Amino acid sequence: MEIRKLLFVTKFEGLCYDALNSLLKLRYASLEHVVFLNVIERDKVAMQRGSGYLKEEEVKLKETANIRFIDWAENLFELGLEVGAYMEVSTFIPEILKVVEKESPDLIVIGHSHKGALKQLYAGSDVTELMRRTEVPILVFKHMMEDKIVPEKIFDRPLFATNWSGTAKKTIEYIKALKNVIGEIHIIHVVKDSVLKSSDTHEVQKVRKIERKRLDDLCDELEEAGIKARPHVYVGDPQKEIEKAAKEYQASMIILGSSDKAAILERWVGSISKNIADKSLFPCLLIPGKKDI
Amino acid sequence: MSKKVLVVDDDQDVRSFVVTVLEENQYIPLVAQDGIEGFEMIEKEKPDLVILDVLMPRGSGIRLYRKLKTDENLNQIPIIMFTGIALRSFLKSQKALDEFKGGEIPMPDIYLEKPVGPEELVAAIKKKIG
Repeated sequence: MEIRKLLFVTKFEGLCYDALNSLLKLRYASLEHVVFLNVIERDKVAMQRGSGYLKEEEVKLKETANIRFIDWAENLFELGLEVGAYMEVSTFIPEILKVVEKESPDLIVIGHSHKGALKQLYAGSDVTELMRRTEVPILVFKHMMEDKIVPEKIFDRPLFATNWSGTAKKTIEYIKALKNVIGEIHIIHVVKDSVLKSSDTHEVQKVRKIERKRLDDLCDELEEAGIKARPHVYVGDPQKEIEKAAKEYQASMIILGSSDKAAILERWVGSISKNIADKSLFPCLLIPGKKDI
Repeated sequence: MSKKVLVVDDDQDVRSFVVTVLEENQYIPLVAQDGIEGFEMIEKEKPDLVILDVLMPRGSGIRLYRKLKTDENLNQIPIIMFTGIALRSFLKSQKALDEFKGGEIPMPDIYLEKPVGPEELVAAIKKKIG
């Protein structure tokens, strides 16, 4: 469950060394090895009428990536980290999965999807597609501010949204392994509007009290594990409320267990975790729920 | 008898270059494309010299280098580091790992920063194994 090996997938657009640098605090958890992956999309070097396969372009793109990776690797080597790199002409998600199989990372770091809305509707975002096809936790990196400055301390003040599912329980174990890097964690449970339909104030307060007690117990559990934790009960639409809480508490990222919904249902209806991963302003750490982590 | 030289590098162009240089100079070339495959090959073939890249997928050259230098049966095999990573960074990484993991690993016999011409490579090989 520890993060020993991290797969850092970059297109050198949104996700660059500043993002990687913000993750290096994981060294204090258990990080030993960083693997870089740059996927050169096939259409950049594809066969074209009159010019054929753009071999020179492939060499140029690979060498450009190689030079960037050497520069990044030198910084990481100097910290005593193990570093590996892949530069491949391929298709984005299948190539990530291929490298995941070869390297068995404990965490995949990717930028948010650049697919258009229509393409996302039919094919899903890169994040959605990756989540469907791997059981490795995924950190979806976001630049939280308009000026594209990367949050320096991404693990400092995470917000964990729990729905008390089995996946949420696994996520808690994952969080415990990050005790040396998390500053203070905010834990939120969102009570859906429908649960509060009763006109009896007493009943409404009772629901809040029950949820708050569960959150308090969870905070105690985390504090026992060495992580400072604060509980919050919110009411309303989970996706909106989680985003709202992240803003209110100036979270450095959102941590979520991923949904167990069937893929087809998820594609059309969406899941809270995937919608947040795709749309939130905050970096999102998504923990899969299918198997033991 | 010709001596066996193992080149461990993930870049096929580099492997081809080194293999050509080795063959032209009557060495027996062996190849591996990452640190894990490299170690298996070293254990199996016991080469007279290893030419080792640093930045590779699956085990890096840094890990393999330390593994070889701490292995009683393999630590006498000379190693030429052949890489795009600057020597300064390599030395810092060794220092950090010495502190982190304990122990002190000797520095590589020869450190060549890519790109290197065939003459320089052959001179380095000859210096180590004749």
